[in-house]
Parts: sequence; C-alpha cells; structure tokens
Amino acid sequence: MNSFWNGKRRFVALLMFLAGVFVALEVPPVIPFIQLPGEKFPEGYNIPFTDIRVTNTMVAALIVWIILLLLIAYIARRRPKDGSEVPPGGFYNMFEALFEGLMGFIGGIAGGRHFRLIFSMFMTIFLVVLIANWMELIPGVDTVGFIHPHVKEKYDADSGEYKVITTDGYEIYQGFLGISYVNGQCDWISPADEAAADQAALLAADEAALAAEQDQLEKAAYARYQAKHDDHGEDDHADEAAADEHADDEHSGDAADTDAVAAARQEALDARTAEKQARRDRGCYTGVATSSWEDGYVEPDKSEKKLIPLHPDPSSEDAKLVPWVVLPFVRVASTDLNMTLTLGIIAFVMIQYVGFKALGIGYLTKFFNFSTLFKSPLGGIDVAVGLLELIGDFAKILSFSFRLLGNIFAGSIVLFVMSFLVPILPWPFFILEFFVGVIQAMVFGLLTAIFMQLATVSHHHDDEHDDADAH
Amino acid sequence: MDPQSTIIMGKAIGAGLAMIGAAGGGIGIGISVGGAVMAMGRNPDHTATIQTNMILGVAFAEAVAIYALVVSLIILFVLS
Repeated sequence: MNSFWNGKRRFVALLMFLAGVFVALEVPPVIPFIQLPGEKFPEGYNIPFTDIRVTNTMVAALIVWIILLLLIAYIARRRPKDGSEVPPGGFYNMFEALFEGLMGFIGGIAGGRHFRLIFSMFMTIFLVVLIANWMELIPGVDTVGFIHPHVKEKYDADSGEYKVITTDGYEIYQGFLGISYVNGQCDWISPADEAAADQAALLAADEAALAAEQDQLEKAAYARYQAKHDDHGEDDHADEAAADEHADDEHSGDAADTDAVAAARQEALDARTAEKQARRDRGCYTGVATSSWEDGYVEPDKSEKKLIPLHPDPSSEDAKLVPWVVLPFVRVASTDLNMTLTLGIIAFVMIQYVGFKALGIGYLTKFFNFSTLFKSPLGGIDVAVGLLELIGDFAKILSFSFRLLGNIFAGSIVLFVMSFLVPILPWPFFILEFFVGVIQAMVFGLLTAIFMQLATVSHHHDDEHDDADAH
Repeated sequence: MDPQSTIIMGKAIGAGLAMIGAAGGGIGIGISVGGAVMAMGRNPDHTATIQTNMILGVAFAEAVAIYALVVSLIILFVLS
C-alpha cells in the first residue's frame, strides 16, 4: 500500500486541485443560507412511530454513534486475546497509543478511587464530540441535500391574512450530469420587487421627459423674449405678446409633452424588458411562491395562491416560480443546541453522581452548608457560598453547551464563507477546524473529568483541619 | 426607511454590539497564555502541566467570548 502511493501523492493532490477548479467553474458558489436550529426534513421523514420530524443534525448524531460502535467493535476484535504484548500494528496501535496517553493524562488529574468512572466518562465524551466535530470536514456535509422552496408564511395583523414572504433564496439550476443546484449568480427577486422596479423605471422616465420638456420650453420662451425685446422697445406690448405666445406654447406643448413622455416610457419599458430577458438568459426567473413546507403554525388558506409541489421536477415550470435553498442531508451534530445541551446535562448528572458516590449524602453540604451558621459569626457567608456553588453547578450546563455550540457553529460558518470566497482553496480553514474540533472535544472531556474529580473531594474536612491548625 | 430595512439595521447593529463581549475573552486569553509561556520559559520541566492548565484557562476565557458570539448569532439568524 505504502510503496504504491510513494511519489504519486502529489499527482493526486494536483488532480484534486484541478477537480476543485472544474467544480468552481461549473457550479457557481452560493452565499450560505444560515440557520441556527437544526433543519427539519420534509413531511414523511418522521422518527418511526412518532410525529417528530427528523432533522439533519439527528442524522449526523446517528452517524456519529454508528462510527463509534464500529470503532469499538474493531478495537475489541483486534485486541490481543491472550494478553500478549505484541501490538497488532496499524490503526489499532495508534488508537492504543492515544488511549494510553490520555489515560496517563487523566490519571495525573483525577487519579484516585474513582479513576475508572471518571476516565470512561472522559473518553466517551471525548470520542463522541471529536467524531461529531470532525464531520464538518467531510465534503458534502452541509452542502448536499434536498433543494426546497424557501418561503415563509407569516400572519399579517394589519390585513388579517397570511402572506408569503419571499426574500431569501436563489434560483434552481441544472448543471453538470443533470445535478440540480442553487444558482448563486442571481438573487431571487420577488414579483412585488419586480413590479416596484417597473413602476420606479416608469416614474423616472416620466420625470426625465418632463424635465427635458420644461427645459426646452424655458429656452424657447427666453429666446422669444429676447427676440421681442430687440424688436419692440415698449414693455406692455412685449408682455402682452409674451403672454399670447405662452398660451400658444402651452397648447402645442401638451401634444409634444405626451409624445415625449410616451416615448420615454416606452424606452424605459424596453430597457426593463431587456433587463428581465438578460436575467432569464442567465437562468433567473421571478414568480409567485407558496408551499406547505413549514409547519408549527395554523395552516393558511391557500385557495388563491398557486401551490407548488414540495419536490417539483427541477426542469418544470413550477420550479422557476420559487426561491430555493439547500436543506443538507447531514449537518454537524454539534451545531445543534439539543446535542450540546444533552451532553452538558449528562456531564452535570455524572458530576453529581460521582459526588454522591464518593461522599454519600454529605455531598449536599457543599451546597447547603448550615453547620456553621450558628457557631461562627461568619456562618452566613458559608450559606451564601453554598448557594453560589449550586448556581455555579447549573451554570456549568450552559457553559458546556454554549462553548461547544458556539465554537463548532462558528467554525462551520467560517468553512461555508471561505468556500464561497475562495472556492478552490478553502483548506487552510479546514486545517484550522481540524484543530478546533480536537481542542473542543478535549476541553469538554477534560472539564468534565476535572469537575468530577472536584466533586469527589470534600472541602469540609479540609476547612476543619485548617481551623484546627489555626487554633 | 421601510420597516424591513430598519429591522435588518437593528439586527446588524445589535449583533455588532453583542460581539464587544469578545474583547474580554481576548484579553483573558492573552494574559493566560502570556503567563503560561513565561512559566514554561522559567520551568521547562513542567511544560506539560502548565500547558494543560493553560488550555483549560483559555477554554474558560474563550467561553465568555463564545457566549457573545452565540448571542449575536441568535440575533442574526433566529430573531425574525
């Protein structure tokens, strides 16, 4: 295997670079459509026997667990049964080295009576979070998925009816090998915007024509005025004549006016038509959009709107009537608050569990410390400190979940944006995200281990010893 | 100005203001890494321990900046 690839890797890299150039030219990059909650799959993709719609982050979490179980099965199979010291080599060897290193590392922090529990918790969280984080590096994750019409229907309190808001999204486009994708070359312009642009163009044409007409009239009047002044010296005569002329002008001017305005309007409309045609030539359309995609609100009356099927044939006329976004099949599980909050709660529960296991019911005195309340003048402080500890313990859940969510979500946005800005070479950021993924997995696991270790230590006795020493 | 642009403007300004909080995280990370590097320079034998504690401290300091980031992400992408 090794000898086969020696000296050929550079050609593989070159080939991938060329493929990147080809894809960047063939498939125009799209500004990412960013959504914080996990995106729901279309109707019909429920969790079996429930009404809960599958989200793309759930799929990613499922894949994480499948990978983890496969990893465990592989490691268990390759492990030498007879306890021999000879390592089988390869991936198993690497994993063993990693495992032993981490075991020593955690042993230094939490090596005690509860080491096995703490270490297994650390390693589980570390592996789950690591695999979940690294999934964002796989091409196709976050980018390949259902193409669906992005329309939001909102209740409009003023008119008392549901309105379709269609401001986001891009046109659908069929490219290489009949693969349909969202075309970032043209923003989707809603019919209302299009009509408004038409009106604006007409108005501008009217104004321009009127201004030109006015200009001309003024010039003509001035010229006549000058001519009259040269001919007749008397003021009153000139005034009369000028008034006459002016009335005449108004009369003839009206006809000229309408002609000029009509011409200007026609010109503006022609320009708009040409503009629209140019957009169409690029594959951009406008139209009326509706769909029954979103749920969670009262179903609006759609009798007057044109209904588009959920997954219209991309080449059909229906497909040209809606703005489109991609709903990825798989989105990194750590970018969903549900996943990170669950991990945070599990970590919290395990911290309390190991505390109770080590100290029994006495663990509660960490939070509700009334023992010194009446003995010492500063006993009230101990009570307050205990309550602060309680709040601090619950704050750990938030801290755990938001740290992971924020880092990985921000990381995947960076990857989107860089793939858009530099479609050929976004990989320096992939390397960055590789390390961010490791560090965040490490931090999550390590903090759990440290908090678990802290929970097993009784501060109470230490304090008493200190007091005894002081006295 | 039409309401839509006003909303977008408010969102952008709010998200930008929320990210001011990241400055605190940056200062904290700078101080902790600076201290750790100094400690490693004086005491190279304990590099591993210092590094571990430094990464922990950095993660804590970064968490605050990440809260600011999450708030601004929520302002931008969740509020509508």
